[in-house]
Amino acid sequence: MGDFSPYDDNGGTVAAIAGQDYVLIACDSRLSTGSTILSRFTPKIYPLSKMTVFACSGFHADVLTLIKNLEVRMKLFIHEHGEEMSTKAVMALMLPTLYGRRFFPFYVRPIVAGLDRDGKGLVASYDPVGTPEFFDYVIQGSGENLVHPFLHNQIGAKRTLSDVPVQAPPGLTLDKAVKLLKDAFLAAAERDVYTGDTVTLVAMTAKGTETMEYQLRRD
Amino acid sequence: MGDGERYSFSLTTFSPSGKLAQIEYALAAVAAGAPTIGVRAADGVVLATEKKQKNQLFEEDTIVKVESVSKNIGMVYSGMGPDFRLLVKRARKIAQEYKMMYQENIPCIQLVQRVAAVMQEFTQSGGVRPFGVSLLIASWDNKRPYLFQVDPSGSYFAWKASAMGKNYVNAKTFLEKRFSDDMVIEDAVHTALLTLKESFDGQMNETNIEVGIATAKDGFRLLSLPELKDYLKSIT
Amino acid sequence: MNPFNYNGGVCVAMKGKNCVAIASDHRLGAGRLTVSTDFPKVFEMGPALFIGLPGLTTDSLTVVNKLKFRVNLYELRENRKIRPHTFKAMVESMLYERRFGPYYVASVIAGLDPETDEPFVTAMDVLGAGEVNEPFAVAGTAEESLLGLCEALWEPDLAPEDLFETLSQVILNAVDFDCLGGAGATIHVIEKDKVTTRTIKTRMD
Repeated sequence: MGDFSPYDDNGGTVAAIAGQDYVLIACDSRLSTGSTILSRFTPKIYPLSKMTVFACSGFHADVLTLIKNLEVRMKLFIHEHGEEMSTKAVMALMLPTLYGRRFFPFYVRPIVAGLDRDGKGLVASYDPVGTPEFFDYVIQGSGENLVHPFLHNQIGAKRTLSDVPVQAPPGLTLDKAVKLLKDAFLAAAERDVYTGDTVTLVAMTAKGTETMEYQLRRD
Repeated sequence: MGDGERYSFSLTTFSPSGKLAQIEYALAAVAAGAPTIGVRAADGVVLATEKKQKNQLFEEDTIVKVESVSKNIGMVYSGMGPDFRLLVKRARKIAQEYKMMYQENIPCIQLVQRVAAVMQEFTQSGGVRPFGVSLLIASWDNKRPYLFQVDPSGSYFAWKASAMGKNYVNAKTFLEKRFSDDMVIEDAVHTALLTLKESFDGQMNETNIEVGIATAKDGFRLLSLPELKDYLKSIT
Repeated sequence: MNPFNYNGGVCVAMKGKNCVAIASDHRLGAGRLTVSTDFPKVFEMGPALFIGLPGLTTDSLTVVNKLKFRVNLYELRENRKIRPHTFKAMVESMLYERRFGPYYVASVIAGLDPETDEPFVTAMDVLGAGEVNEPFAVAGTAEESLLGLCEALWEPDLAPEDLFETLSQVILNAVDFDCLGGAGATIHVIEKDKVTTRTIKTRMD
């Protein structure tokens, strides 16, 4: 028991893009510990409500526990208010849920993504103790360093010399966003051993939710 | 000044006429050695040498005079066998060091230069004597055949065909008449054997000669006894 | 302090169709202090052969001098231009000689074979361990960003101009996320009988 640690890092990458009329969330499905693959198909995206999804890399047991806690709090909200929490409310709920464990934190890097009441995409990411940050696009997890500059370049249009209109989320269509995140995960899987097997993309619009899956490297 | 120091200057000291007697003597040792022929063809090089046993009780198949240095380079000598073996050892080491350094096979010219430098060193250092051998070095590299001769002085030349050892003057005259640029390797082996035969004392057979060839296909290799037998049939 | 993060800097090279390109940033730092913004880390080793040496600058300069010495001797001794493959082997063995007290430099090599004009790129670590069968090679303080960008932006058979644009985007976006690199970049595009060297601007913070 001397070398027991209550934490592990199960790897994996998650990303999200908030569009004008959609939100797109992506994750790989590999679960690993050190150099061992625990599962080739454990996608890291979890639906929280009709309008909101949760995506998370980090320590898988903490991820599962965190979701359980969130679901309890969201259910209580429904009983008290007679309606589902809005995406913004879930985003706000993350802080007290995570900060409540300030001195034994969940080892997680969560993203909450969803649509607001007008159908506009929202994305927020958090550190393990709940500090929120709101983004048009975000990537977190083991492939972060590899792919982050790529998203900045392609979505944030950083360093683009061409006179094509800036492709920041206002001009970024869902189709283009899907293609970008797919490419981003292909690149991450190529070089990051903790990312691979499949990429799951969840596209959410006012019309409904569509889930897509593509193969990634399995080595 | 101690005795050791006083006598440690080189044995190869110039004579008043500008000659190095030790090198002359080394060349004499080579000229007294077994005849050796090298012939370059369009698609390869052949090295051939006489391997006559001094005593019929020798286990003849244990005597090897044509040695490979690397995959595509081989060499043979006229002169003193033990001196040759030291040079083979050095040449092989040079070839491997080159490969370790650059991850490619040593070009023949590089090997020749470096082996020649070793031989030169033994004409100028203290406490040593020159090598009593001349070498023929054959290779296929850089998409062409090479044939070099290296002498005890450390000088080296590229040849179309050359002969060393006993009777080499006649052998060279013979080669001059026989050589043509469009020979293929089979012709070159044939020519080399004919040249050896010119001065051969007694019956030439596959056990008293040795032949190596360098080609694009195989690199450098010795001819087997059956191969030699076939070639010998065609010259009798 | 980690010697690789003391001076900072990055290098990246890429293969194109009958061409290669190699780039480095311009920053020279001393920890968090920027000492110079005009310090490319790519050095010419022949008419179509370049080496980038990000890492501890004093070691980079020593290594580049020692390599030039070896290349000059090699070319005189063998009476021919050194091939990129051979040069790589030379760098490898030189770095490995210091197995137990290494030069703190990573190496990126880019060149065209003087006989076949075959493009060549490779990268290696401090001890000379490298990989040659990759279409791009990265090293330096923004290594991971460079690798991810190369993986996402590179495509086969880029023409010289497209190769320049791709490599520019790669180094620009990578050093944007690297406090220890940046301050401009130099890109050499190597073609048969021609090297085009261009300087580009980046963020200066």
